[in-house]
Amino acid sequence: MSAITKFEDLEIGDDLPGESPDVSMPRVTAFCHAAKHVFERFIDHEAAQREGFAAAIVPGIMSQGLLASMIHRWAPGCEILEIDTVFRGSLLVDSDITMTGAVTDTDDDALIAELDLAIVAEDGRTGVIGTARVQFEQ
Amino acid sequence: MTANGSPCRYSVSIDSNKMRLDLHTHSIKSDDGRAKVENYCKWIAKKELPLDGFVLTEHRQFDADSDYRQLEDEYGLAIMKASEVETDYGHVLVFGVNDDLLAAIDFTNVRLPIETVLDESRKAGAFAAPCHPGRKRVGLFAHYEERGVVQGVDTVEVLNGGSIPGEDELSLAMADRLGYRGFGGSDSHVVSRIGFCATDFPNQQIVDMEALVHALYGGNFSAVSMRPGDSD
Repeated sequence: MSAITKFEDLEIGDDLPGESPDVSMPRVTAFCHAAKHVFERFIDHEAAQREGFAAAIVPGIMSQGLLASMIHRWAPGCEILEIDTVFRGSLLVDSDITMTGAVTDTDDDALIAELDLAIVAEDGRTGVIGTARVQFEQ
Repeated sequence: MTANGSPCRYSVSIDSNKMRLDLHTHSIKSDDGRAKVENYCKWIAKKELPLDGFVLTEHRQFDADSDYRQLEDEYGLAIMKASEVETDYGHVLVFGVNDDLLAAIDFTNVRLPIETVLDESRKAGAFAAPCHPGRKRVGLFAHYEERGVVQGVDTVEVLNGGSIPGEDELSLAMADRLGYRGFGGSDSHVVSRIGFCATDFPNQQIVDMEALVHALYGGNFSAVSMRPGDSD
């Protein structure tokens, strides 16, 4: 599927191309240092287990960033007006996760689309759900 | 077999002679819901989902105020309101919430005794049934392992759109073993997940909550999965 460049090219029901982002320990650790968001539960499996997690977990702000990057790969020219995420379960570092999205509403006058967003963990549980409002140019 | 002796029925077929309802959805009225009700309607229409309606089961509350009759007319859908409450045996859907039930139960209590929910629902003419019973911690059957069977349960949600592999299988197997009837619901919290699971009511017209409660007590229904990848 080619990238969306114009509002006219999308409609309710469209799926964003699914992605499986890299949440390996080196990538998550690099993100945490770049974001100045370094906590052991994100970068150390054993430390996370001591806190009660199954393993180190992907930071919420990284999940949100990954979803935002998926939106921009789908529609490179759009502006994200709002992105709202609900963290329902942990996403584990060094696991396979899948991101999806879909267009759920459109405002033809304002050129705004509403999106559903989700990240599904390796065991099939939906770890993150959310929505976004994105603006397209005239 | 079900409690009334008839076989458990879980189908994936569809015909024009039945109502198909998603009995478990959440809107922005729930703290973790992000779906606008109108967007559910638009999605169902755009995707041509084989649904005749859906029930909003908001967490720990009953939304008495919202009026969706205009959307019902515009989209030709039955939109009903119920609740999902939290008990010491996991989450329970309550259909037919009324003033009597609201007076009898504190819907915000996250440790309601399940027997109280079942008894008071019955007294008030409502219908209560555990949802996602195969799920750890918040599912009925996880508690059965530790604390035994609850008397008064006769129906559970055997197909839940948010289940991970193994959870619905456990729900189906346990429901079959215990003679419970089974229904389905998507448990959608965002628009694009409505209709993942639903319930078929053969030869019945269900256009309001009174009719739904009557149908649930009647027991002539079956759970259906419409998750992407499932055949229908």
